[in-house]
Amino acid sequence: MAYHTLLFLIVFLPAVVILYQLAGKKFRPMVLLAAGYVFFFSFSRWLFVYLIGATVVMYFAGIGMEKYRLMFKEQKKGLDRTAAKELKKAITAKKRRILFVGILFLAGTLLTVKYYNFFAENVTKIAAALSVSAGLPQLDILQPIGISFYTLQGIGYLVDVYEGKIKAERNFGKLALFMAFFPQIMEGPISRYDQTADQLYAGRRISVQNLTMGGQRIFWGLLKKIVVADRLNTMVGNIFSGYQYCDGAVIFVGAAAYTLQLYMEFSGCMDMVIGTAEIFGVTLPENFRQPFFSRNVSEFWRRWHITLGAWLKDYIFYPMSLTEGVKKAGSHAKSRFGKHGAKVVVSLAALFPVWLCNGIWHGARWSYIFFGMYYFVLILAGVIFEPLFLKFSERFPKLVKHPLYIAFQIGRTGVLVVIGELFFRAEGLKHGLLMFSHMIKNFHPSAVVTGNLLGLGLDVKDYLIILLVAAAVFVVDCLHERGVGVREKLAGMPAPARWCAYYVLMLSVIIFGAYGDGYLAVELIYAEF
Amino acid sequence: MEELLEILEEIEPDVDYATCTTLIDDHILDSFAILSLVSEIGDAFDVQIAPGDMVAENFNSAQAIWAMIQRLEEEG
Repeated sequence: MAYHTLLFLIVFLPAVVILYQLAGKKFRPMVLLAAGYVFFFSFSRWLFVYLIGATVVMYFAGIGMEKYRLMFKEQKKGLDRTAAKELKKAITAKKRRILFVGILFLAGTLLTVKYYNFFAENVTKIAAALSVSAGLPQLDILQPIGISFYTLQGIGYLVDVYEGKIKAERNFGKLALFMAFFPQIMEGPISRYDQTADQLYAGRRISVQNLTMGGQRIFWGLLKKIVVADRLNTMVGNIFSGYQYCDGAVIFVGAAAYTLQLYMEFSGCMDMVIGTAEIFGVTLPENFRQPFFSRNVSEFWRRWHITLGAWLKDYIFYPMSLTEGVKKAGSHAKSRFGKHGAKVVVSLAALFPVWLCNGIWHGARWSYIFFGMYYFVLILAGVIFEPLFLKFSERFPKLVKHPLYIAFQIGRTGVLVVIGELFFRAEGLKHGLLMFSHMIKNFHPSAVVTGNLLGLGLDVKDYLIILLVAAAVFVVDCLHERGVGVREKLAGMPAPARWCAYYVLMLSVIIFGAYGDGYLAVELIYAEF
Repeated sequence: MEELLEILEEIEPDVDYATCTTLIDDHILDSFAILSLVSEIGDAFDVQIAPGDMVAENFNSAQAIWAMIQRLEEEG
């Protein structure tokens, strides 16, 4: 029952909307919670006990930490600064123990269900290479849908309570709803407790405006997912499975097509998710901000899967950077090599775990770890060579502001992203490396126009549809980049023009969607992570 | 406050810290600039800035940073 299926769009969502609206303000959050559990159960069956277990742990760990926070507040009254510091240290140690147990449970569950077999496989391989007759058995562990997303939300909640950013939630239902809001379960966005919990629990009545604005965004997402992403899937699959028979230029087109597929699919899904939440008056955080306008890969990651990047920054990058060891190393480097040296050292220490986590978060495969390390190296190189870029900008101030130079930077970033996605999509690291090597050695740009692309499962009509919708998405992205609110403009148009646009959108999805004979149903890619 | 302004000037000159209230929102201070700032503030004011304090509201203006320092000094 994924978000783009008829079962979700025609049966589940309308049923939840009706039940939600009929229920009184007080019972609406319960309708959403029940819908979340039904939705989760439809995918993972009894594995939903993992989700409930995570919520129970968060609930009690949160309250435990809150108890110590209040204790500190009470006991520090009348103490001098030194005594208050001592008290804080003692209380923080107790809070930290609870935090540790909570994170151990949440992260431990994720690590076990998602990575145990990968770990066991590699331990066994190493043991075999060392001729040691030892190894770990493979286990038949099932992974609940969305565990990678809700675990991060859960850890974020615990850390925020520990840090005192939010108060622990004493209403179990509210916490449970934060973890199980059905539009977010499969692919995020990963939200923080203070971003969504109150909105979810407010039980606002559904307004006509929310319904139309939400519906509008759901159809926009469907257009991207069903018309473009699912159509590209056949071509991408053919190139990646038979790359040995393709020219390097065709492989590059395949990797670029996969990048486009992933963007249309993931951002389209986010449109459906955010649109669905909008119907219930809930504003979820955005996950994309025109990523293909980025001038470097750091900027790309501030615009692509924004909530994952923000989570990694808040809960990995900053805590790592602020550890005593990293701070000392930074100070030492500063005294020896200056400010830039300190920046390189801190980047090296804090960005490595960030990108390792980013890579492995996507799944238990060496190719994902390579994907993370690829960006780690690119971003670290950006930090190392920053003084050169600054000198270049000072030397050629007009050039760096020229539209052609900016276009060059955007193009360069695009190529680097496409190469990253080639490794991301390839069936394993070895496959990715072979494919990349084949692409470089056999690169003939003419192959793209000599008709090779037409033998890959798509005909001229398919390419035209893809180009047309991709162009529409590009125009909308350009307008967003200029700060134009396209949806608001559309909603503000006179009724005949507005409904004309809505019908065009809906009919485009129905007529040009890649479903039925000749197309395979395509699951949501990020739901598998 | 003067000492804080000096630290800010050293990290990122050419910013009007008296009026700017979007140091983070407008990406005037990036993650690395904030880390330098945190380190300098820790040394100068003997306060410990925790990862939980690393939110935009605490760093968007010199005034907000100063308010955070005072709060941390009070908390011990």
